[in-house]
Amino acid sequence: MDTTRTLSPRARWTIPAVVAGAVAAAFVLPGALGATADDDLPALTADQLVDRVANADPVPVSGTVVYTARLGLPDVTVPELQGAGPLDLLGGSSTVRVWSDGEDSSRAALLGPVSEYSVVRDGPEAWTYSSADDEAVHYVVDPADQERYDELAEKAAAPPVDGDLPTPDEAADLLLAYARTTTDIDTTGPVEVAGRAAYQLEMSPRTDGTLVDRVRVAVDAETFVPLRTQVWGVGDTEVPAVEVGFTDVSFEAPDPSVFDFSAPAGADVREVVVPLPEPGAMEQPPAADLGGGEGFAVRGTGWETVVELTDVDVDAILGAAAEGRLPEGGTGSSGAEALLDELAPTEDGEMPGLPELDTRALYEQLTTEVDGGRLLTSALLSVLVTDDGRVLAGAVPPATLEELAG
Amino acid sequence: MSLVEAPAAAPARRGAATARLLRSELRLVFGRLRNLVLLAGLAAVPLLIGTVLLVTQDTPVAGQGPPFLDRVTGNGLFLVLAALVSCLPFLLPLCVAIVAGDAVAGEAATGTLRYLLVVPVSRTRLLLVKAVAVLAFAGAAVAAIAVTGLIAGAAFFGVGDVTLLSGDTVPLADGLLRALGVVAYVALSLTGLVAVGLFFSTLTEVPVAAMASTVVVAIVSGVLDALPQLSAVHPWLLTHHWLDLGEFLRLQVDVSVLLAGLAVQAAWVAIFGTLAWSRFTTADVSS
Repeated sequence: MDTTRTLSPRARWTIPAVVAGAVAAAFVLPGALGATADDDLPALTADQLVDRVANADPVPVSGTVVYTARLGLPDVTVPELQGAGPLDLLGGSSTVRVWSDGEDSSRAALLGPVSEYSVVRDGPEAWTYSSADDEAVHYVVDPADQERYDELAEKAAAPPVDGDLPTPDEAADLLLAYARTTTDIDTTGPVEVAGRAAYQLEMSPRTDGTLVDRVRVAVDAETFVPLRTQVWGVGDTEVPAVEVGFTDVSFEAPDPSVFDFSAPAGADVREVVVPLPEPGAMEQPPAADLGGGEGFAVRGTGWETVVELTDVDVDAILGAAAEGRLPEGGTGSSGAEALLDELAPTEDGEMPGLPELDTRALYEQLTTEVDGGRLLTSALLSVLVTDDGRVLAGAVPPATLEELAG
Repeated sequence: MSLVEAPAAAPARRGAATARLLRSELRLVFGRLRNLVLLAGLAAVPLLIGTVLLVTQDTPVAGQGPPFLDRVTGNGLFLVLAALVSCLPFLLPLCVAIVAGDAVAGEAATGTLRYLLVVPVSRTRLLLVKAVAVLAFAGAAVAAIAVTGLIAGAAFFGVGDVTLLSGDTVPLADGLLRALGVVAYVALSLTGLVAVGLFFSTLTEVPVAAMASTVVVAIVSGVLDALPQLSAVHPWLLTHHWLDLGEFLRLQVDVSVLLAGLAVQAAWVAIFGTLAWSRFTTADVSS
């Protein structure tokens, strides 16, 4: 009672104000302090930096990645109802937890409110699992290709350094020299990403014919692992259109059990056999076979590159996807196949907790009707689907596509 | 009311008087029929959900609904989680608001507050005692759901190894531990609301007004949380981190996520707790 008597009522009312101020400071200050960059890093030129990144030993990485897309696409998901899924990546902010052993095992978990979408890769097999609809998809390499896969893995583990192949050093130089023909490459001041000092590489296209304004990649100053990538569109040069980066990172090897996945009891399991691409097919653009047609052309160069597919049966794809699968036939790259499968919105034909998110409805929501086809416009990418079955895509303004389509 | 037990004249040690006050306050909260009905109502939720799932488990509508509901028939432990997630948006805040809003305003309305202030316990301590009693009720409310959920779940569907959100399966003991974590997190998530309710309760002599305002705060917070345009303020909202309880069911529980949610609750407690204190210790109590 004594203590409560010593304060005047007015003084008593100042205490909540002081507390509120202290609370606000406690929440805001760490963020403000964390933004300061470490200036003690030895300066590196862009060339040195690219060299270092190319020559860096693979290290295990785990941590939390925040992905934010401001592509200007219509919002098509309701994560609270559907659970986390790949469609979340079309817009808004998503949190992904990643683990990698630096070699051929990795895991990523897209976090939703009380839901999760996991992609686990352990050597030649991979799993995806969606908690919302309790469905697992198991990807395995075609048994016929298993031997060749092992061979490739072995080769990758001990790459031949000499001979005709360029050393990583030279490869990096070549790549850089090639990139310089279309792009200004420079470093910016050091930054801090996920609490780690990082170098930053900035790439700006030399042309005006692209939607990309600039790309920045922040690279850890110690391990030279990329920690953050930001891409700005020409529409908004202040806020990145796509930003993906660690908010929390560790370079300690994750527990191997993380990569040891098997379908939980009771889950629907779908098996997918992934054919290994033929030797030399790696360079083939992955989407070439998508519509089953031969027609594939690249128009323009550098940042203005437009990919054109002909004889694409859009209706068939939409119909097939609605039935729960992509058209048969490999895409020419196991990575692209997996990616396509992951990104195909209705890969499983049903969206949990909601009436089915119809592929066609989604397609129509994302694209707009234009003269002679349908157009998808976003901050970084334009896609034109013409009525005569051609698909043109590129990081270029929509007008360029329409012009090319004729 | 309970003042008879506190000998007003005795120069009793302050600690003993406070302890006595706390005991009588707890008896008051848990002895009140209304509060017991609230607890029973909350405990009935998992029973209801469990029964519905038991009846419909072989029909096409099985496996639809809020998170965890589709898992319940496979593992009764998920009934605890499904019931908590179902009660979290409205029922739990409502029950907590009723008791918190009544804490001080109820005494004022029945005219017993001035007698309570005669007890040789400072107003600060009196407020703390009230807060502890309401927190105990909030904990009991969450526990009522969890315990009946576990019993009903085990009886209806049996329990077994637990499949996490990531698709990995952990042993039952680990799963129980994680469920316990969820229960603790939900209970602690209600502390901010308790502080808000207590503050409103010191403002008025009409308990219903305090209760209603407290519920409104929880609901408005939920509505604001659903507006993407306000994403900048979302992390500070009272209810924003409530569903982070899912963190307990991920492959590796990230403690920093949970601490972030609890830190927001602590901030609300600090601000509204001191507001309640300022109001309660400066107010003229005439009734």
